[in-house]
Amino acid sequence: MKKKGETGKRLGICISVILTVFWLFPYIYVICCSFKPGSEVVAVPPSFFPKVFSVENFTGLLERMDALKFLINSLSVSLISTIIALILGSLAAYAIQRSGAKLSVALVVLVLCLKMIPTSSIAVPIYELICSLGLYDTKIALIIVYAAINMPFVMWTMLSFYEGIPTSLDEAAFMDGASSLQTFRKVILPICTPGLATAFIFTLFLAWNDFLIALLLTSTNAKTFTVGLAGFLSAYNLDLGPMCAGAFLFSFPVMIISLAAQKYIVQGMTAGAVKG
Amino acid sequence: MRLISRKNLLLFFLPGALFMGAFLIYPIITMVIDSFFEIGITGDKTFIGLDNYIHAFAAGGFLKQLKNTLIYIVVAVGVETAVGLLFALFFELNYKGSKIIRSLMMAPLMIAPLVAGLTWKLMMSSSFGIVNELLARIGILSSSSDILWLADEKWSLLACCIADIWLTTPFMMLMILAGLQGLDSSMLEAARIDGASLLQQVFSIKLPVIKPILLTALSVRIIDAARTFDIIWAMTEGGPNSSSETISIIIYKTLTRYNDIGYASAMAVIFIAVLVVFTLVFMQSLWNPKKKNS
Repeated sequence: MKKKGETGKRLGICISVILTVFWLFPYIYVICCSFKPGSEVVAVPPSFFPKVFSVENFTGLLERMDALKFLINSLSVSLISTIIALILGSLAAYAIQRSGAKLSVALVVLVLCLKMIPTSSIAVPIYELICSLGLYDTKIALIIVYAAINMPFVMWTMLSFYEGIPTSLDEAAFMDGASSLQTFRKVILPICTPGLATAFIFTLFLAWNDFLIALLLTSTNAKTFTVGLAGFLSAYNLDLGPMCAGAFLFSFPVMIISLAAQKYIVQGMTAGAVKG
Repeated sequence: MRLISRKNLLLFFLPGALFMGAFLIYPIITMVIDSFFEIGITGDKTFIGLDNYIHAFAAGGFLKQLKNTLIYIVVAVGVETAVGLLFALFFELNYKGSKIIRSLMMAPLMIAPLVAGLTWKLMMSSSFGIVNELLARIGILSSSSDILWLADEKWSLLACCIADIWLTTPFMMLMILAGLQGLDSSMLEAARIDGASLLQQVFSIKLPVIKPILLTALSVRIIDAARTFDIIWAMTEGGPNSSSETISIIIYKTLTRYNDIGYASAMAVIFIAVLVVFTLVFMQSLWNPKKKNS
């Protein structure tokens, strides 16, 4: 019986390796394309591997858009908005979870509903609001909007973590004379580090990957990398090489971070489901 | 006993609430109000009651986009679930290096939807796209320009679904793998001894175990698929001839290209209402049985 299992297992291993290569194919193809000379990207018939290794597309990318500036915009906006969302969201979620008020159930449901709102549908009121505040095309606009939009997600993640922490812990800290804020900062948060890490990574990626809000709220100064990349959509085919280079530059750090922090990503995706 | 005083509770809650109030709830309220008005380009508002809503459901309204959205959800989420389940059964195996393989498989998980859309746009291009070239080499297509993925009304929506499937099948697999960890291996052993076939093991033992997590994953995915904007925008912008236009896309176009804020708001209100009702019903049915148990 064990022998039969062994061959079956080997077959399974082979298939899973093949599936992985197959699934990564599009991404590897983009990487290959970004190291081809520009003309080879749009050559007919297409080839998979570059015939000539070239960094022409990367220099082309830098010529066509202010790639470095857009990258810095993307990074600073997503980092700052994530930190704001994380601090305010985890505080608010703590208040909701520990209040014990009847209202808190309604608030939890409200948070869940806010998490579901499609960004495309509230884009225009947000646009009008930002314009009337005089913040159009500023990084501040992107930071506050991302922070607000991603806050329900942070709260949702943290709510499920707080539930797992017994209230007796809060009580003990209270007895020892700690203020509410001290209890939260020194007792609750350290236990929730995995939750915070999960929320941090997800929110960071959500803001980093966002396209719609940045498309609406920026024109030149605060333009993020995704909007810059989408600029290649309207351009002619010859620009596809630099587009690949941009796509590679933009998503390579994401791939590396998600490989390194996979534990937290898996936790974030499944935590709500298992406990829910 | 009160853990935190009422004042502190409010202090903790208010900053976050203000943020969300200003940039989430206020826009939603504005949108609901706008949906009852006809709003000119200059910003002048005329109250027209339910006309925007009637317009949405009349001919030439958003019924086509509604249909497209439903097709998109059914095809994308359906395939993702089936493939994710199949993949999970293979990736469940533990061997030396299995963790690395699993990690690699999940690498595309966090790629921006926009990048996924651009990637597939490049690969599905009619003349220099590698998808058609490969299909032609295998012999499925006679020539590499047989299917115009993005320019043919028949294929454009499906092409967008394929990009979505590529991007999110790893998520489905991940969820199912997490569910399978709760499996009692002795149960599987017992079934094996009793001579249950591989298929029987999957359908009578594994599926019931992962059912709750699968349902949650489905609800998350259905809502995300309904909201998809970036992928479709990158690949087709809803075209050709609005064949791949979903509700998200038509709302955005109505706002930015046709400048009809009132009508766009009405569509958005309907859209959000449907999503919220769906979420609540789904969550209720998921939560209630558990609450009874505990």
